[in-house]
Amino acid sequence: MRDHDKERVLVEVAHRVFNHYTKDPRTTEQALFDTLYEERIRLETEKDRSKAKKQAAFYRKIRREALQASPTRQSELLKQVIEGFAEEVAGHFDPRVFALATRVAPPALSALLNALSPLRLLAAIPTGMATLDDQIVIEGETEAFKAAAQMGTTVLVSTHLSNLDSIILGYALFRLGLPPYTYGAGLNLFSNKMIGFFLHNLGAYKVDRRKKAEVYKHALKTYAGCTMEHGYHNMFFPGGTRSRSGAVENKLKMGLLGMGLNAYVHNLCNKKPRPDVFVVPCTLNYQLVLEAETLIGDYLQAVGKSRYIIEDDEFSKPKRVADFISKLFSLDSRIHMVVSKPLDVFGNEVDEQGNSRDHRGRIVDRTRYVYRDGEPAFDAQRDQEYTRELARVIADAFHRDTVIKPTHLVSYSILDWLWEKCPGMDFYRVLRTGGSEESIPMTDAYNRVDRILGTLRGLEQKNCVRLDDSLRGKDTGAIVGDALAHLKSYHRRPALLRRGDRLFHEDRNLLLYYHNRLTGFGLPTWEKPQ
Amino acid sequence: MKKKEHLDVLVVGGGSFGTALATLLSETDKAFEMWVRREELAEEINTRHTNSRYANGHTLPKEIRATTNLAEAVKRASAILMAVPSKSFREVARAVGDTIQGDQILVHTTKGFELDSFKRMSTILREETCTLKTGVFSGPNLAGEIMARHPAGATVASHYNEVIDAIQGLFEGSGRIRVYGGHDVVGTEVGSAFKNIIALAAGASDGMGFGDNTKSLLLTRGLSEMARIGVALGADVFTFSGLTGVGDLMCTCASPLSRNHQVGARLAKGEALDDILNSMTQVAEGVPTTKAVQRYAESVGLDLPIVKAVYRLLFEDWKVPDALAQLMDLPVGDELAALRYR
Repeated sequence: MRDHDKERVLVEVAHRVFNHYTKDPRTTEQALFDTLYEERIRLETEKDRSKAKKQAAFYRKIRREALQASPTRQSELLKQVIEGFAEEVAGHFDPRVFALATRVAPPALSALLNALSPLRLLAAIPTGMATLDDQIVIEGETEAFKAAAQMGTTVLVSTHLSNLDSIILGYALFRLGLPPYTYGAGLNLFSNKMIGFFLHNLGAYKVDRRKKAEVYKHALKTYAGCTMEHGYHNMFFPGGTRSRSGAVENKLKMGLLGMGLNAYVHNLCNKKPRPDVFVVPCTLNYQLVLEAETLIGDYLQAVGKSRYIIEDDEFSKPKRVADFISKLFSLDSRIHMVVSKPLDVFGNEVDEQGNSRDHRGRIVDRTRYVYRDGEPAFDAQRDQEYTRELARVIADAFHRDTVIKPTHLVSYSILDWLWEKCPGMDFYRVLRTGGSEESIPMTDAYNRVDRILGTLRGLEQKNCVRLDDSLRGKDTGAIVGDALAHLKSYHRRPALLRRGDRLFHEDRNLLLYYHNRLTGFGLPTWEKPQ
Repeated sequence: MKKKEHLDVLVVGGGSFGTALATLLSETDKAFEMWVRREELAEEINTRHTNSRYANGHTLPKEIRATTNLAEAVKRASAILMAVPSKSFREVARAVGDTIQGDQILVHTTKGFELDSFKRMSTILREETCTLKTGVFSGPNLAGEIMARHPAGATVASHYNEVIDAIQGLFEGSGRIRVYGGHDVVGTEVGSAFKNIIALAAGASDGMGFGDNTKSLLLTRGLSEMARIGVALGADVFTFSGLTGVGDLMCTCASPLSRNHQVGARLAKGEALDDILNSMTQVAEGVPTTKAVQRYAESVGLDLPIVKAVYRLLFEDWKVPDALAQLMDLPVGDELAALRYR
């Protein structure tokens, strides 16, 4: 971000958030005291005690005054709080380092990914880029994506499985010849100092998810919107967090997603020469997921709602990360990034000339969606519905451009077989005990894999999903072998093991995690036990 | 009327309900026009002020003007009300989609599903046009009664408040129709389409000479089936207690003016379906709707006994007494189980 833009964005964010909460004195008072309350709760468990003490003193002072203040004074106090948040979100960004990072991104990123495995780093220094190029496959509508980034501001929205995603995306953007994208990264990502350094300087801003105050969340959203208005490409995960179940995201968070439309309407109102904001969905696809065990454990514990922030997962353990990367590389397991067609903020596809097209391919004048009485105008309720529409289109794109890999197919097949063998048994009991069948004959496994692969091929022909190359032109034995090699390579406990002519399901939670990637595609399935 | 003039609303379709809507609009201060497919009909409406095929016996207000130039009329309108049968809905929607833009409002009044795909009309509007501000206008509105200037009520459902406000605003001042608003598009569309199936059954019961007990039984159990399929499709169950659910059901099942009711009654008297349909000038939406709903229910394993019985009457040559007897023999359980334990 350029220096003068940084200043402008900072002022604009504080101004807009302030205006939002000061429309009437009751809202102002509520926002102020809610924020003070949420912050007090957060500071009670803040690990950095000296920082906590300082902040607590600041909030105490505000609170003392606010209790007896007039509405005008309360709004001034809220302003101080808002400015603090805005500064925190936007203020760490150093344009000089950003510019440098943009130039040195290639070797830096290569080093970064390789740094996750120190041995690998040594081996890869001379050929690091080539190795990564092989390992990460970027496909889909890459040219349309690049064209969109030339014509307007793009918002890259991705499926989210692992904390490695943002690093992979950063690397992919570089390989596509695109500049770094503005990205709100969770504080836990910064806990790894090396990654933190790069994230920071590749456009990432810190998102402290322990801060629950609405005012803070509003500041974050507004910051993203303002950067879009100033032409900075953005990137985020509309699922909000890593998919706990392993399934492709279906329900997306509306708040940040709506900022694209918000920026577009602002740009039209301000008659900007390049007002367009394009949304580019993409999927990231792995055979194995670094944090699979923790995520599915969390999902099963309270269907994903118990813990929003996981601080003690595999990502925070360097050895696990190194192990993961090295296993993935040694199995020649490619990570696929698939770029979908760019969309306008209303969900219409955008062609390489920048025209929005309806379902019949007719050109659409997208400005007209926000016109009222001949002028562009905001309408909160309308815009929320437009965003819902966009979210639906993105979720469809996520499914269509998901790459099914052997681990997904085989896990799905084995669990499908298992459900069938446990009629009427409690779902969790099946997962815990495996029911009455501790193993499955290989022939049954092959038949099930064949059948489901056949259905998936049909879905692929209808353009509903993609199949990995490793599922093509190979016999079933090789596909199952590939999945088994992966499933026993990295996780603490192999999910599936072959002994003689039978397959033993050792970790059904993990099987469920990889199985879930195939839910949401309407596959005919044996009814799950209740 | 000058050609380039802005229109508050364009009514697309010159059938009985399109004509009824135009008649209501003629009593407001809104600028409106009607699009009809056939030149002769446009000519008849504009010069003789009648629509002898679809509104026989009524003289139309002079304010009603008809055009056959869809593109030009769509371009001039702020809002468009589609009143075309489900059979030709996609084709007309696509033609509207050639011209319509994102700031225009598009609301349909069609009570049916697309036969082959079981898609709702609002889904078709989404597929065939670029506009997002869509909605559905529905309720107990027999065209004949509207033409006869009886007071009535309707609901406009849309995800967009702007659409609800605009459509309510259109009929302000007519003094003859109360237009309520709602956000449950799925529920409104399902209720409106589904009630035609029950009207066929009610007609058959009347045709057999059965009284109000039988009809009430069919109607309430029909309402339960309506709610069951509606909820399965994502509707809010409360929508079915409104004008487009129980309201429309009462109207269409009780009135001999209802086309679907007429088909049921004539079936009970032994006439063949083809003969009945060939003799009618207007579309009985319940017939294709029964086929579409039965196919869907079967594919997802939904138990809808009345729909099945009507389907057998229409397409499997069952006789009315057999279908009714079969319904009466079904096992009984908790009356509201299917809804209570959803």
